Amino acid sequence: MIARSNSSGDYVVLAVSLGLAAVFIYAGVAKMRDALDFADNIAGFGIVPAAFINLLAFALPPFEVGCGLLLLWPPTRRVAALAMALLSVMFFAVLLSALVRGLTLDCGCFGSGAPSRPRMWIELGIDVVLFVGSMFVYLRSIVRSALSTT
Amino acid sequence: MTSAVSGRLPQARSFGSQILRDLGGVVLLALVALAAGLVMNRVSSRPLPIVYQTPEQRFDAELTTLVTAPPFKIAPAATVGLEEFLAAVKGKSALIIDARPAVFFEQGHVPGALNLSRERFARDYRRLAPVLKPAVDKPVIVYCSGGDCHDSRLVANALLSLGFSSVSVFTGGWIAWSEARLPVSTGSGQ
Repeated sequence: MIARSNSSGDYVVLAVSLGLAAVFIYAGVAKMRDALDFADNIAGFGIVPAAFINLLAFALPPFEVGCGLLLLWPPTRRVAALAMALLSVMFFAVLLSALVRGLTLDCGCFGSGAPSRPRMWIELGIDVVLFVGSMFVYLRSIVRSALSTT
Repeated sequence: MTSAVSGRLPQARSFGSQILRDLGGVVLLALVALAAGLVMNRVSSRPLPIVYQTPEQRFDAELTTLVTAPPFKIAPAATVGLEEFLAAVKGKSALIIDARPAVFFEQGHVPGALNLSRERFARDYRRLAPVLKPAVDKPVIVYCSGGDCHDSRLVANALLSLGFSSVSVFTGGWIAWSEARLPVSTGSGQ
């Protein structure tokens, strides 16, 4: 019985991981297409100092692609899931702060587009879903590894 | 009860150490991603500088490049003499551009001229954009001090690069205008 529930849980983890990996790899590749546009998107939020904007624009797309790829490999799944959860929290906080300040921006989350507040709200919702998904994968993995060591 | 609590403590410690180890992995992943991003930027066809430049700063840099290193592909602007220039000034048939530094412009310039100096081209161009942009299809005549001055040619070529269709240079410049004792305006005039 336990074995059966574990194995069905594994399938859920695998399915969620595949979904998250697809979203993060897509988002990373979309941002890589135009680093300049993405840097302008980051600057639009008015949070990151100018000295770090381009560095963030260079690092974030490979980071997202890396998270997506590492999530597909069981030994690195936990690190990738934690990174995704932290990233989702960061995206959520930044988007929410922009919405609270009354800004209408293109967050550049999935490549460049037209600035739109409804889209910012949708992306805020996506961040919540990504956070829940990645925390689910992380907690399942950490509990599983703790159980296997005891 | 005691044994249950003492059993949970090592488990909690184990969770804590695992989370710390995972956070270390996240930091390592971030560093690798930054290194990969820097390499990708370096080999890209349009590498970005390390420090971000706003769209305005990039535009300024582009405009400044136009007047510091004019592309050789652009044909030299046509030239006009004093008579033709005077007719254009009187008839207001062309946009007159003074390419000299602001300090000379303020001391005296051709009436109706706009100060688009070679020296501060980017800043002046942005300031004059509301007047210049609607005039891209109109005749434009640029002058500077006269004689051997190159500012008028550089500004004229920059305007051609920016899409102005009819740009010429009044080669006599300010020297020819003032020697002919023609009307003079002073001050910034804008």
